[in-house]
Amino acid sequence: MTRLCYAFFLICILAGCAGTNLPPVSTAGFTLEEDEKRLWARSKEEATAIDQSDMIYDDRELEAYLNEVARKLQPPQVMKAVPFKVEVIRNPLLNAFAYPHGAVYVHSGILAQMENEAQLATLLAHEMTHATHRHAIKEFRHVKSKSAYLATLSTTLGGAPLIGEVFNILGAVGTMASVSGYSSDLETQADMEGLQLVVKAGYDPREAIKIFAELKKELEEEEVTEPFFFGTHPRINERIRNYQKLLRTEYAGRNNGVKNESTFRGKIAKVILDNAGLNLKAGRYSKAFHGAEKYLTIRPNDHRGHFLLAEAHRQRGENDDMEKAMAAYRKAVAIDVRHSESYRGMGLLQLKKGDAAAAKKNLRQYLNLMPQATDREYIEEYLKQM
Amino acid sequence: MKKYALLLLLFMMLGGCGPWAKTKGAYNGNGFVVDLPEGWMRSRQADYLLITRDGVLLQSVVVYRTEVGSSFKNTKKKLTKGMMPQEAAEVILDNFASNQEYLNFQVIENKPAKINGLPAFKTVYTYKDKDGLRYKAMYYGIINNDSFYGIRYTAPIRYYFDNDSKIFEKIAGSFKVQ
Repeated sequence: MTRLCYAFFLICILAGCAGTNLPPVSTAGFTLEEDEKRLWARSKEEATAIDQSDMIYDDRELEAYLNEVARKLQPPQVMKAVPFKVEVIRNPLLNAFAYPHGAVYVHSGILAQMENEAQLATLLAHEMTHATHRHAIKEFRHVKSKSAYLATLSTTLGGAPLIGEVFNILGAVGTMASVSGYSSDLETQADMEGLQLVVKAGYDPREAIKIFAELKKELEEEEVTEPFFFGTHPRINERIRNYQKLLRTEYAGRNNGVKNESTFRGKIAKVILDNAGLNLKAGRYSKAFHGAEKYLTIRPNDHRGHFLLAEAHRQRGENDDMEKAMAAYRKAVAIDVRHSESYRGMGLLQLKKGDAAAAKKNLRQYLNLMPQATDREYIEEYLKQM
Repeated sequence: MKKYALLLLLFMMLGGCGPWAKTKGAYNGNGFVVDLPEGWMRSRQADYLLITRDGVLLQSVVVYRTEVGSSFKNTKKKLTKGMMPQEAAEVILDNFASNQEYLNFQVIENKPAKINGLPAFKTVYTYKDKDGLRYKAMYYGIINNDSFYGIRYTAPIRYYFDNDSKIFEKIAGSFKVQ
């Protein structure tokens, strides 16, 4: 009887372990398990929906660059097993996620936040490790009732603002990858294994921790008490401590890794500007200012950066914003004398200030330069009233 | 007696204790009044005016009032007292543009308007939903002292939008602040 009990106990353990004891895809002879094949099929459907949804940031050169960095991180046999493809989603929030079949999505928000290629490599390595170490199927198997789990995701996350909207577009697998995250152990594994890839590829591991510092700063500014994005498990302070420990121990003294800051900033400059525009629309003024100013450090003579800075000041309209807006509009037209929207901006400011003569001059110039302006009728009404 | 009680209950249900009521005549809302078209249905459950004829995914008209300075769902920008209609339109449009569910959001038209003598803005925009269906919306916005009123018509671009846009213009034209 005792022998039977032991045998039963052993079977239970093995059954439990078999569910989550999957070797990574780099293991010789790797094949997908049956339920994993179904998960991959579902993931591919969701990724196709994202690709067809107008969410994707259209920049072939940028995409080629991101995929080049991804290829530096994985050996060819891994890329063959999981054909990674990195794309950018137009979204100002700090997030990135990977589907188990290799589709990796990086939000424009987090890309714009980074400073160099080493930080990008850290992000990609983390996300790719979720796929290479088969975290999605492990997580799914861990959950006893998948339909109940998916329904719970839908009801608990689906109703939350921002998160709910993401869920409606991403689907269940994507939402698990991007919003709810994986268990604490799997996130820690992605951090550790990911950092190993980063170091192996020759990048500076000290840059890894800086992404979290930025994320933490954003959460404090946005007054978010607990992050949903970029993995909830383990929590951000815990993850910062994990990286700090790795840098003190396993990667102590690694000071001369590659950062490729200049190349990186050149490649993502447009994302920084566009993302600042998204933040301005969302009323996240400090992030809009930060983005516009960061863009101008890369492209100081681009009138678009000065214009965006001007618009951010004008739309916020606090304290000395009006003066700063006017100064930035003037810089924009000093660079590009035909930039019509800057004249509109100056005209609107002067209209509010009561300087009718100056307002008329600038608003007329705006309409001269942009006869098809969508807000023409507003401007004509102002000119009539002055 | 039981039979009569059951009949009475059935009559009450048919008579409109459900979530939708038939539209008829003028509707007195939260600080406004509008004339409603015949043959449409009005939601009893929404705390704003919501009407449709064929179902909210095929066409819907929403009329609502909010306080100037209230928060929006998708943007941190706020309306302020004394804002020009163009500035108010910018806030409203940025709220829509920042909605992650509105894909490929585009403004087709944005101009000043008058609703019963009140300065307003009129904007027309399009977007796609997650299933790729394209929608078009026409929106009038009015800032009046401490209140903002929104009057919005939304329908799929294909076939439905043009069908009822004139009815919507009549509804918007009948809008009065109380």
